[in-house]
Amino acid sequence: MSDLARQQADFQRGILAGDDAVLAEIPDSPKEKRETLFGVYRYAYGSRLVEALRNDHELLHAYLGDEMFDEMGHAYVKARPSEHPNLRWFSQGLPEFLRANAPYSGYPVLGDLAALEKALNDAFDGTDGTVVTLPDVAAFAPEIWKDLVFAPHPTAARLDLSTNAPAIWRALKADETPPDAEEQVEPVRILVWRQENTPMFRELPAEEAMMWDEAARGVPFGVLCSMLATYDDPDTAAGRGASYLHGWITGGLLTGVAA
Amino acid sequence: MNVASRLADTSRNETPRQSAKPAFLGFGLGLRHQHYDEILSGSPPIDWFEIISENYMVPGGQPLQTLEKIRARYPLVMHGVSLSIASTAPPNFEYLQGLKDLAHRVEPKWVSDHLCWTGVHGKNLHDLLPIPYTAEALDHVVSRVQLVQDFLGRAIVLENVSTYVRFKNSEMTEWEFLTELSRRSGCWLLFDVNNVYVSAFNHGYDPLTFLNGIPSDRVVQFHMAGHSHMGTHIIDTHDHPVCEDVWDLYAAALQRFGRVSTMIERDDNIPPLDELIVEVNRTRAMAEQVLGVAAR
Repeated sequence: MSDLARQQADFQRGILAGDDAVLAEIPDSPKEKRETLFGVYRYAYGSRLVEALRNDHELLHAYLGDEMFDEMGHAYVKARPSEHPNLRWFSQGLPEFLRANAPYSGYPVLGDLAALEKALNDAFDGTDGTVVTLPDVAAFAPEIWKDLVFAPHPTAARLDLSTNAPAIWRALKADETPPDAEEQVEPVRILVWRQENTPMFRELPAEEAMMWDEAARGVPFGVLCSMLATYDDPDTAAGRGASYLHGWITGGLLTGVAA
Repeated sequence: MNVASRLADTSRNETPRQSAKPAFLGFGLGLRHQHYDEILSGSPPIDWFEIISENYMVPGGQPLQTLEKIRARYPLVMHGVSLSIASTAPPNFEYLQGLKDLAHRVEPKWVSDHLCWTGVHGKNLHDLLPIPYTAEALDHVVSRVQLVQDFLGRAIVLENVSTYVRFKNSEMTEWEFLTELSRRSGCWLLFDVNNVYVSAFNHGYDPLTFLNGIPSDRVVQFHMAGHSHMGTHIIDTHDHPVCEDVWDLYAAALQRFGRVSTMIERDDNIPPLDELIVEVNRTRAMAEQVLGVAAR
């Protein structure tokens, strides 16, 4: 290993692990001890990454408050050192971290809130797509509608949450007192996407969530309607399917339709 | 004493990328999202903007769309924080490809980053970390700059960073290192006036010695920024207005380097655009005062 490589490894260990070996290679400055000067790097490391988490998870920060959020943030920084050159992606593992590690795993709402914010962040700067319009779909003859398959917008993402995190998110966003966290019996089915430049989310009924998931896998409209018939009144299945499809199109959720 | 001049000349096998010196752009500002609406709804008197490259190395959405609109009205320069040019870790070609793709899209007047490293062993500390000024480090950085320039197909611009520590094994000064790096690799220099001031205070030397040690023909950009004074040391926070001592050093830099594209860089505590325009106007006025009509 070259001197430079060894020195950089020592320097990094000094920041990440608190190892003081690197101090032997650093002189005091005319006015300050080397420990204090190297401490600038140590402090900046944690505070910069926690600040990045605050920026990406504004509402989780509001929910937890400064002290608890920063304690959580430093725990995440320690457990998951950044491995990507772009700080934009540092917080990607936060939902999983919160769900897998005590004490946060004891409060499922934290992982859910983080997952919702992450999905919205990802939608914000996700891949662009040209959305399908109602006339695009109306151009297909009625007899081939059963064969239509759909492509979801590249930013569209489905989440199944276990708590009332969406209600808490909405209250925090409106600067109101959030409701108490509650675990839900049924999964809370969420669809996140970007409409024009605005990240959006909405809760889906179980039936629509099933139809969306299957449509996203390329299942044609006719089969989707047959599947809807197993969820509720078979006689209105096609109408319900058309209604969901109408909502997806007007919401800018589809970027492709083909027979 | 110029220690670097006594080092073994390893430049015989190096072919510096000879590129024309980038044109003078005038007096600019670091682009921040807080000002998008004001910039697009008015025509603020700013000659050009510098973007943080990584902020736009994303798949799509509003950041890139807004950048397209601003690009249609103002010259842009790309300034990165993650090139990690001095790192001994293997080059990150995925990052370099992203940088190249963004440059293809943005068509910046130049692409810059910092003389520093940001991590090794697969980790990224997201900080501009210092290097020892040794012959070994110089050889390493020269070869990395050449590799990056070949990959990007253009000469790059490197900035001096604020440092809080020095290394006992340094064999030359920072300005000797930068001079040799620029000469051997063909890269241009971004002279951060504030960073020179911060490092000079932290290490106890005269910032004018640094300034006068940089070749006058290699500097293509000035940064002006604020900092936080801790008494025994200064931290480069970029969250304050430019202080008077740094304005004085800017005047000296103008005298040495002449007409150089200059910008105000604020990274935190982002104030309203008008406040930053006051500082941009001061860079312009000071250049005209020091250089006369040659500043235009």
